[in-house]
Amino acid sequence: MKYAIYLGCAIPIKYPGFEAATRNVCERLGIDLVDLPFACCPPPTSLKMVHYDSWLALAALNLCMAEEAGLDLMTLCSGCVNTLKEANHTLKKSDSKRRKVNRILEEQNHHFKGNIEVTHVLDVLYQDSVIEKLIKEKVRELPLKVGCHYGCHYFRPPKVMYPGELSESESYVPVKMDHLLSIIGMEPTEYSRKFLCCGSPLGANSDQDAGYAIVKEKLRHIRERDIEALSVICPSCFEQFDMGQIVLSRKFKDLVKVPTFYLTQLIGLSLGMSPKEVGLDVHRVKSKKLLEGIGIS
Amino acid sequence: MTVKIWNFFPREALYECYQCARCTGSCPALEVAPALGPRETILKCLNLGHDEVVEDERLWVCCTCNVCEDRCPQKIPISDLLVALRNSAARRGNIPDKLEIAIELLAKTGRSMIVHQLDEMRAHHGLAPLLPVPIDEVREILKKTRLDDVVEF
Repeated sequence: MKYAIYLGCAIPIKYPGFEAATRNVCERLGIDLVDLPFACCPPPTSLKMVHYDSWLALAALNLCMAEEAGLDLMTLCSGCVNTLKEANHTLKKSDSKRRKVNRILEEQNHHFKGNIEVTHVLDVLYQDSVIEKLIKEKVRELPLKVGCHYGCHYFRPPKVMYPGELSESESYVPVKMDHLLSIIGMEPTEYSRKFLCCGSPLGANSDQDAGYAIVKEKLRHIRERDIEALSVICPSCFEQFDMGQIVLSRKFKDLVKVPTFYLTQLIGLSLGMSPKEVGLDVHRVKSKKLLEGIGIS
Repeated sequence: MTVKIWNFFPREALYECYQCARCTGSCPALEVAPALGPRETILKCLNLGHDEVVEDERLWVCCTCNVCEDRCPQKIPISDLLVALRNSAARRGNIPDKLEIAIELLAKTGRSMIVHQLDEMRAHHGLAPLLPVPIDEVREILKKTRLDDVVEF
């Protein structure tokens, strides 16, 4: 099993611990990763909103790099997977858009063919053969009540993220992260407004405080269910929860903070990696006490 | 030059809207900030034409979470409408400062984040330096698609 690893911008630059954990977990579970000189995806929350044609052409450049290496592309971020999956789907489907993009790419010696697939690390880990290996390789369980937050762009809109798989009237609710975490002994816990946005794009594009107000609303429901840890698959959602709780706790003194983890950090811990090895030392909301409580230090 | 969005989005799709407001009722941005909201956006597009909408700064107060489209009983492609409207707004200079700065950084560096003393930080996590972005190709592609009509870089 081999993929081109698409790191995106936020993970390698802001949260390299997620990258270290992901590389380590993939190696242990028999997934080969190849690095390519990818550019920004670019985000569905920024460039797409400002200039669709530029957004599509730059996404196509990234897709071409993976095509030229003959590899499917594995992303680590809900935003990246949204852009690259949509661009891949659109360019495969629309002859006119593909011709237009290829006229520009050909000047740079690239040509979009449409012969690879785009996926997210969560979907890669969720394959039967990988799960079987995880069950064999795990050295400890993490008996904690965990709340999953998927990130809107990982699954919405379904016509983009799951083209052809759903009928017009169907909506899609993701479950893979909950299932995967139960395999490493965690207790995935449902909470109200689980599929509410984290508020990150609102903060990035217009009003930071408004973005954090959404975090506060989510936290209220998370605390109601006594959830001890949050799991995310997107660096923007992570930042929103991790830094957001610090900012909120300055204003609301009685706020009880919930440590946030990136999915592969939790899988890494169950495979025997140390908290430092998966990069937990740089998180703002500390998880030291929580993990010591289940014998991990 | 005024570019109407209806070249990019089928106006007829909006005629199916019966203003049930499920979109707006589920809009997280509208819960916490003075957003325009999808229902009002569609109504204004229908009644006032799109010019009124693309000059409104509230158009940008949005999480881009796409819940509106997900909940729409008429399956109106609201996410596509919002992309077309904001592209048009940006072209007329209605674009949040923060977003303009972010796009400029992307066009100049090929990334959405500033790379600063990065190798050291990555080494702390046992990671090799990041492969360089083919920045000349990126800039050429952005120039050819005429991003600089909207954001100078």
